[in-house]
Amino acid sequence: MLKRLLRAVQAGSLLFGTFFIIGLSTSARAQDMDMHAGHNMDAPVMRGDSVLWRMPPMDMSMPMLPGMDTEVPITAAYLPGAGLDPMSVPEAKPFEILDVDDGDTIHLQAGLVRRQIGAQTLVMMGYNGQYPGPLLRVSRGANINVHFVNAIDQPTTVHWHGLRLDDYRFDGIPGISQAPVESGESFLYKLNFPDEGLYWYHPHMREDVQQDLGLYGNMLVNPISADFYAPVNREQTLVLDDILIDANGIIPYGKSAPTHALMGRFGNVMLTNGVTDFSMDVKRGEVVRFFLTNVANSRTFNVVFGGNPIKVVASDISRYEEEMSVSSVVIAPAERYIVDVLFDEPGEVTITNTVQAINHFRGEFYPSVQALATVRVDDTPADVSHAAAFEELRTNEEVIADIDSFRPYFDKAPDKELELTVRVNNLPLPVMRMMEIDTLYVPPIEWNDAMPMMNWVSTGEQVEWLLREKDTGRESMDINWTFQKDDVVKVRIFNSPRSFHPMNHPIHFHGQRFLVTHIDGVENPNMAWKDTAIVPVGSTVDFLVHMSNPGKWMAHCHIAEHLHAGMMLSFEVTD
Amino acid sequence: MNIPSFAVPGVACALLLVIAWMHEPVTSRAHAPAAVMSCVDVDPDPPVYYAIDLVPTRKVPGARMAEGQGDVTFATSPFGVSISENGQYVYNLSVAMKNVTLKEGKALDVWVTTPNLDQVKHLGRLDEAFRTVGSVDWNKFLVVVTLESATADPGSTWTGPIVARGMSRSGLMHTMAGHGPFQSEPCAVYGYR
Repeated sequence: MLKRLLRAVQAGSLLFGTFFIIGLSTSARAQDMDMHAGHNMDAPVMRGDSVLWRMPPMDMSMPMLPGMDTEVPITAAYLPGAGLDPMSVPEAKPFEILDVDDGDTIHLQAGLVRRQIGAQTLVMMGYNGQYPGPLLRVSRGANINVHFVNAIDQPTTVHWHGLRLDDYRFDGIPGISQAPVESGESFLYKLNFPDEGLYWYHPHMREDVQQDLGLYGNMLVNPISADFYAPVNREQTLVLDDILIDANGIIPYGKSAPTHALMGRFGNVMLTNGVTDFSMDVKRGEVVRFFLTNVANSRTFNVVFGGNPIKVVASDISRYEEEMSVSSVVIAPAERYIVDVLFDEPGEVTITNTVQAINHFRGEFYPSVQALATVRVDDTPADVSHAAAFEELRTNEEVIADIDSFRPYFDKAPDKELELTVRVNNLPLPVMRMMEIDTLYVPPIEWNDAMPMMNWVSTGEQVEWLLREKDTGRESMDINWTFQKDDVVKVRIFNSPRSFHPMNHPIHFHGQRFLVTHIDGVENPNMAWKDTAIVPVGSTVDFLVHMSNPGKWMAHCHIAEHLHAGMMLSFEVTD
Repeated sequence: MNIPSFAVPGVACALLLVIAWMHEPVTSRAHAPAAVMSCVDVDPDPPVYYAIDLVPTRKVPGARMAEGQGDVTFATSPFGVSISENGQYVYNLSVAMKNVTLKEGKALDVWVTTPNLDQVKHLGRLDEAFRTVGSVDWNKFLVVVTLESATADPGSTWTGPIVARGMSRSGLMHTMAGHGPFQSEPCAVYGYR
């Protein structure tokens, strides 16, 4: 009866009233575990031409809320390549390194590929048929062209994340910098690389689908100076991702809007460089430089290198003022870090994502460790020892000198103030009730999908994530700031802990660079130029943005589902 | 390697920033040695949401009207948020008390402990302004302020009476088994009695 009542209310055939509230209160109780079966966990992927919803994998010991047993997202299920015989799709191959010289034109195509994830053969997406996409290696100052072809069945664009492009028309933002590249069409991107470091490219349309299915790749901008970084024995990119799959394959996506709009889509299988079992071999005593990129839709990683010492060298757009020793690397979606790791003992080292996850039902933190990669350390000593250079924590005078000219602005009053919050509408009643009940504690960072059912059924049609301007009350795309080239703008962002569903947000500014000068009023003593930075729940973070590049740009949360649920604004920098 | 690996030629204690907190000046009624102290607002603006209310026990003479608060900010980290190797948040915890009168030779020590009290750490001794700051790397913890000898070094745990105590915001998180919409769930299934 309760379920019928809930459905009737959701369908609008009953109004809230005394009778309803009393009925729900007296009958509200959790349902048996086997009620999970109502979501056709083992359902076929398709019936006829339609993709079917099936419940995402989750902890089956968790009881289910009343009325949730038959809830599914309100949007139709969608899975690119559904119905295709995977063997009819080209097999993807590991990524290649493309050394691109100044003036070169390269070819990049987004298309369907066949991938092997664990024991499953899946139809996914790839750039140039690779996972991840090809690593573009260029020198600082280079100008290149990318002839892009869209061979997937959705419109798409390519965003060159972190590049301070001279021409915003190649930034890949549909509706702002270019028209969508329709299926079968092409677009010529003209790129320039003003800063050394690690960058990445990905779609800027339905990232929750296209990026999740494998459309991402790195760009490594080599420095001009030979001693820009300390010497190491080996370099390795690690592209960190996760994917949500069950025994029947990839859990479908929302067709007209993303699912998982509350927390973003967390995967249950970790992928490093596109595989579940990435490994590498090194010699004892080698120092390895890892280039880390988080391309996951929502997951923030805490990367541990098996207890081996780690030195942080650089982040998104520059080196740090001073290198630092750390015990782990916290990396939010879209962020990059360059770290050196010393492997001085032979054996097998497992690189892990090590976090304290939350079980809301039990009200507990619990340790959660996922293997990301394996490093086999051979007992053969390194050909050359860079241990001494590793021990040295370098002070980067060039970076300090560059930042010095911005220090006078550190303590100025904010030019713009934003609050991060959310508005929801027509979520299933059990979700509404549960979210209102469970408000005693929200963590600064959500490390896991602690409410997989409620998250799954929330779509971008019901959840609206907001950037709200303090002074004007304007929200998200109603905000359209205008600045002059070389303005130094302090944007203060407060992540409200009092919203319907507080959550950390990695905020990304397109086309510019910024410094995180303060977190909760505490000045950051060691900075690097960034393009993406995390704003924890309850915190206030000051972004000092150097508006270096004219054009029309965006700033947004880089959790793919939050972006598509509205958490973005536009700004223009005039020359 | 199945993925290109390209060869090339060729923890310290967190910096404890001066964090202070006060909503209003502290007025000490200490006999000695503390004089009437005041404190000024400083730049740090710790998240109100995670503030820790320190509740007096009202059992210690001179501290029955005590008030206090703990504030957390992330310890210095190149990643913005500071997380330990085992995934715990690493905070700078700033503690301030007021309305406390201390007898000569007495001091207030601040301790942090896990909820089941199996681990205790000395955060610091309140200074003349009744403030201290230290580091804590537990996700869920209690704060305990005790009255101790001013001349003795703090040991591994407190020996004096508890003046005030509080808990991290995460301490409010509790099991839903047997409560609210899960009131009919058999708690024993989940390991609860």
